[in-house]
Amino acid sequence: MRTRAKKAGLIGVAACALTAALPVLAFAAEGEEEAGGLSVILPDMLEFVPMLLAFIILWIILAKFGWPMFNGMLEKRESTIREALKKSEEAKIESERMLAEYKEQLASAKAEATQVVADARATGEAVKADIEAKAHAEAADMIAKAKVSIEAEKKAALAELQASIADTSIDVAQKIIGQDLSDAEHRAIIERYVKEAGSFNGN
Amino acid sequence: MATNRQVEKQKVAIYADAMFKTADEVGGKDAVLEVRNQLRSIRHLMYSDMDLSMALGSSEYTAAERRTLAEAAFADCHIAFREVVAMMAERGDIEDLTKVYFAYASLMEQKLRLCVCDVVTAVPLDDDLRTLIKEKVQADLGLEAALNESVDASILGGIIMSVNGMRIDASMISQLNRARYTLKETDGGES
Repeated sequence: MRTRAKKAGLIGVAACALTAALPVLAFAAEGEEEAGGLSVILPDMLEFVPMLLAFIILWIILAKFGWPMFNGMLEKRESTIREALKKSEEAKIESERMLAEYKEQLASAKAEATQVVADARATGEAVKADIEAKAHAEAADMIAKAKVSIEAEKKAALAELQASIADTSIDVAQKIIGQDLSDAEHRAIIERYVKEAGSFNGN
Repeated sequence: MATNRQVEKQKVAIYADAMFKTADEVGGKDAVLEVRNQLRSIRHLMYSDMDLSMALGSSEYTAAERRTLAEAAFADCHIAFREVVAMMAERGDIEDLTKVYFAYASLMEQKLRLCVCDVVTAVPLDDDLRTLIKEKVQADLGLEAALNESVDASILGGIIMSVNGMRIDASMISQLNRARYTLKETDGGES
């Protein structure tokens, strides 16, 4: 970098010298037209010396003041670029680190999501099984209650029928006894009952 | 000091004793039995005829009026019964008639070794059955029994005997009712 700067400085000096020489050539052309021959290509000393002096002075000034400033600008620019490169490198490392971190988080999130889905599926299965079990239990309960109800109604109907039969049978028996027994048969029954009856004193 | 209950008991015993002694002195065992039967009938009548029972025990009438009413109502009864019941009405004790009845029956057992067996049958008893029933009472209670017979065709057959509140129901109507109850209550062999 520093070499390139020096080359640039030399190119500047050559340019300045060329610039200083051109007026001399111009003056020489004018003189050739007037004098002709070799004098055309030779500088006029009266002009050349002051120009050289001016050039030297300008070169000293530029070397003294311009060049350090220019060099400082270059160094500053170099430093800025280097810093930018460094920051860029750090940013790249950071971004790679973050990318890895994001990938890790993404993988973790995917695993978590998978786990959530699995849990939800398991919960759903459990709820489904629970609902089915409850439905079965309720159905069994309803069937049992219906059976009990049917059994109770059946018993009630049987009891009613039984009572009706009992009433009819007893009524028939009463009529038969009241109509068919003679006094002698009544007395025979009384005798048997007195003999078979329990005691008055409970023994 | 005697309590009200003891006083009441003594009062009932005095009424029953007066009735028993009077009947026994006047007519012996037959009169005692007659008075006992009248006591039993009037006791039932007092339950069924509220006007009579309230009139005989009412404080709106004077003692003399109640006595006169009792004498008029029971004019056809035995004198022993009539006099004692009239006295009870006069003193406002007619509500104790049931207690007097049981005390009277107790006196019969104690003093005459006699009890009355109320017998209900569907046909009239013959002498053999009467003897059989008396022997049963003698065997069970050790008392001579006087039978108070009544015929009630509604019992269909058999016999109902009761002595001093002890009752043997061997009637056909009761047996049929028990059979009816058993038939209705039995579940037909199903468990």
